[in-house]
Amino acid sequence: MSTRTLLYKDSGTRVEEVRKQSPLRPWTNRTAKFKLVTALAALLPLLFISALYMLTEIPGAIIVVAIYLPIQLVSAVIAALLVGGKNSAADAMIIVLAIGATLLSIIIVFSILWSIVIRGFEALSVAFLTQNNTYISPPTPLGYGGIAHAVLGTVLIVVLAMLVSVPIGIATAVYITEVKGRFRNYVRFFVQAESGVPSVVAGLFILTILILTGILSQSALAGALAYSILMLPTVARTSEEVLKLVPDDLRTGALALGSTRARTVLKVVLPAARTGIITATILGIARVMGETAPLLLTALTNDKTVWNPLAEPIASLPTFIFFNVSLPFPSAVARAWGAALVLMALVAIVFTAARFFGAKRFATN
Amino acid sequence: MSLDQQRRQMSGKSSFTRSDRVFNGLVTVAAFTSLFVLLGIATFLGTQMVPVIQDQGWAFFTTTEWTFTFNSAADDVKFGIWGMIYGSLLLAVIALVISVPVSLLLAIFVVFLAPARVAKIMTNFIDLMAAIPSIIIGLWGLYVFQPVGVVWAEQLNQYLGWIPIFQVSSDNFIGSPFIAGWILAIMMIPIVTAVTREVLDRTPPELVNAAESLGCSLWTMLRYVALPFGKGGLVGGVMLGLGRALGETVAVYFVLKLVFDVNLFRILDSGGGSIATMIVAKFGEAGPRELQVLLASGFVLFIGTLIVNIFANFIVSRTGKLKS
Repeated sequence: MSTRTLLYKDSGTRVEEVRKQSPLRPWTNRTAKFKLVTALAALLPLLFISALYMLTEIPGAIIVVAIYLPIQLVSAVIAALLVGGKNSAADAMIIVLAIGATLLSIIIVFSILWSIVIRGFEALSVAFLTQNNTYISPPTPLGYGGIAHAVLGTVLIVVLAMLVSVPIGIATAVYITEVKGRFRNYVRFFVQAESGVPSVVAGLFILTILILTGILSQSALAGALAYSILMLPTVARTSEEVLKLVPDDLRTGALALGSTRARTVLKVVLPAARTGIITATILGIARVMGETAPLLLTALTNDKTVWNPLAEPIASLPTFIFFNVSLPFPSAVARAWGAALVLMALVAIVFTAARFFGAKRFATN
Repeated sequence: MSLDQQRRQMSGKSSFTRSDRVFNGLVTVAAFTSLFVLLGIATFLGTQMVPVIQDQGWAFFTTTEWTFTFNSAADDVKFGIWGMIYGSLLLAVIALVISVPVSLLLAIFVVFLAPARVAKIMTNFIDLMAAIPSIIIGLWGLYVFQPVGVVWAEQLNQYLGWIPIFQVSSDNFIGSPFIAGWILAIMMIPIVTAVTREVLDRTPPELVNAAESLGCSLWTMLRYVALPFGKGGLVGGVMLGLGRALGETVAVYFVLKLVFDVNLFRILDSGGGSIATMIVAKFGEAGPRELQVLLASGFVLFIGTLIVNIFANFIVSRTGKLKS
C-alpha cells in the first residue's frame, strides 16, 4: 500500500523538500578533528566485536545486542562529548539507534527475499510453471507437477475481484469528489472503517451469506467477492486522491460547453485521471494478491485446473503454499517455496507497475 | 461553493438533467457499498452470536474450555474463547513493544537524518516491505526465523530468566508468543513507519529550521517540536498497525502453537492464542455447531478491530487538520 493513500490531508511543504532546498547550513561544516573522531567512534566497536566473534564462542545475536550496541552507544556518546557539547550526546545515541533500526529492517527484508529466491529456485522448472497437480501426490519428487493451476486460479480470482471492486471504488470516489454528495464525509468514514476489516472476517462474511445459504459453492467467484471487500477501500481512497488532482478548469470547461454533469465525469474527468485510476486499481490488486485466509474459507484449493469460476473449489498461489507447508514431505515444502517465489514475483510486477503509473501521473500534473 | 450551487444561484433552478439524476443515483448507491458491507458483516455474523450465547452463556467470553468433538449433537460441549482473546491481545502487546521503537527510529532516520536520495530509497523500501504477502512472511517465519528466534529465546531465558515474563515451564521454545510477536512486528513495522514518516514529515519546516538555527540539537528539536506536533498521528499510526496485528491470520498460524489455555505472561513458553488464527485452524474440521462458534468468534474479532481502526483513523485525520 502506498503511503500516500494512508492519509487524506496531504498538502503543504514537507520537511524533506525543505532539507533539499536549503543548502546553507553553516553548522554542518565539519572540521578534520570531527571527521576523525566520528570515524574512530564508528570503526573501533566494529573491530572489537568482529574480533570477539572470531575468537570466542558467544552467539552472534548476543554479541550484536548485548555487546556491540552498548559499546557503540558509549563510543558515540564519547565522540559527541569530544567534538560537540553536552547536548550532542543524546543526538549521538539517536543516530546510532536509528541506523540500527534501519539496518534491522533492511536485514529482515533481504533475509525474506533471499530465502524465497534461494529455496524457491530449487523447485523451479518448466514443468513447475506449466503443469498442474492432477497426477502427482505430495511426496512425488520435484520435476513433476506444478503450479500453473494455482497461478491461473489467482489471476482468475483477482480479475473477478477487480471487475467487482474497481467500478464500485471509482463510483465511491466520484460520489465524494465529483457529485459531492451530502453524505460524503460519512461515506469516507465507512470506507476507512471497511479498510480495517480483517481478511478472515471478509472470508467469514462471504461464507455466511453465500456459501452456507447454498447460493454459491466454494469457488473462484466466492473468493473474488471476499477479495473485493478488501480491495474496495484501497481503490476508493486512491481514486479519490487522484480525482482531487484533476484541475477544476477541465470541469468548468466541459460544463460551459454544455455537457451534462454525468458526461463531464465520464468523458472528461475520468479520462484525465486515467493513469491515476490504473494506479488505484493496481494498488488494490497488490493489497489482496497474497491474502490467504479469505480463500481458505471461500475457495479452498484444488489439484486440477479449473476454468469455471462458479462450479468447484479452485487452487490459488496462497492456498497452494498454505496446504503444502502443512504437509510433512520435503518435496511439498519445496513446492511451497517455489510457489512463494512465483507469488513474490507477481507482487513485484504489480508493485513496479504501480510505481510506473504513479510516477507518470505526477509527471503529467 | 460548489459549481452546482453557483449555477443554481445564477439560473434560479437546478442544473441537473434527467441523465444526471440517474448517474447521481447510481453513484450514490455504489458509494454506500461500504456501509452495506459493514452492516452485512455486523448483521450476519452478529446473528450467529445469539444461539452461541444462548447455548454457552457468558462463559463463551470468559472460559477457556473447548470440547474437541465431532459429535456436535452432544449436549455438554463447551466453547470458550477467553484464551484466544487474551492471546490476541498478548501477541499485539509483544508486537507493539518490538515494532513501535523500530518504526519510530526508522521514520526519524528517513525524515531527519538520511540524505535526500537515501530517504527516497528507504521510503520505497518501506512500501516494498508492506507489499510482501503475509503468507510469505509466515513461510519465512516458520523455516528461517523460528530457528533463530528459538536461540534468542533460549538466551533471554538463560540470562534474563529471573524476570517473570522470560521464565519457561518446559524446554520447548518453538511456537511461542515471543516468536509470533516478532512475526507480527515485522508486518506492523511498514504500516507504523509509513504513518509516522508522514506525520514527522508534516512538522512545519519553519519550526524545524527555526529550532536548528537557534542551536537546538536533533534530540531537543524532536523532543520539543516534532514529537509534540505529531503526537496524535503517531498514536493513530500505532493503532492502525495494532488493527492489522489483531486481524492477522496465516502468518501467525505458521509460527504459533495454538493452545486454548491462557498463557498468562510466559511469552517464551510454547503455545498461545489468537482469534483470527483459531478460526482458520478450526474451520476445516468444524461441524455445524462449531462453525457457528467460529462465526461468532469472527464477530468478536470484527468488533474489536473496527473499534481500534475507527479510533486510529479519527486520531490520524485530526492530526492532519491541525496543519491547515
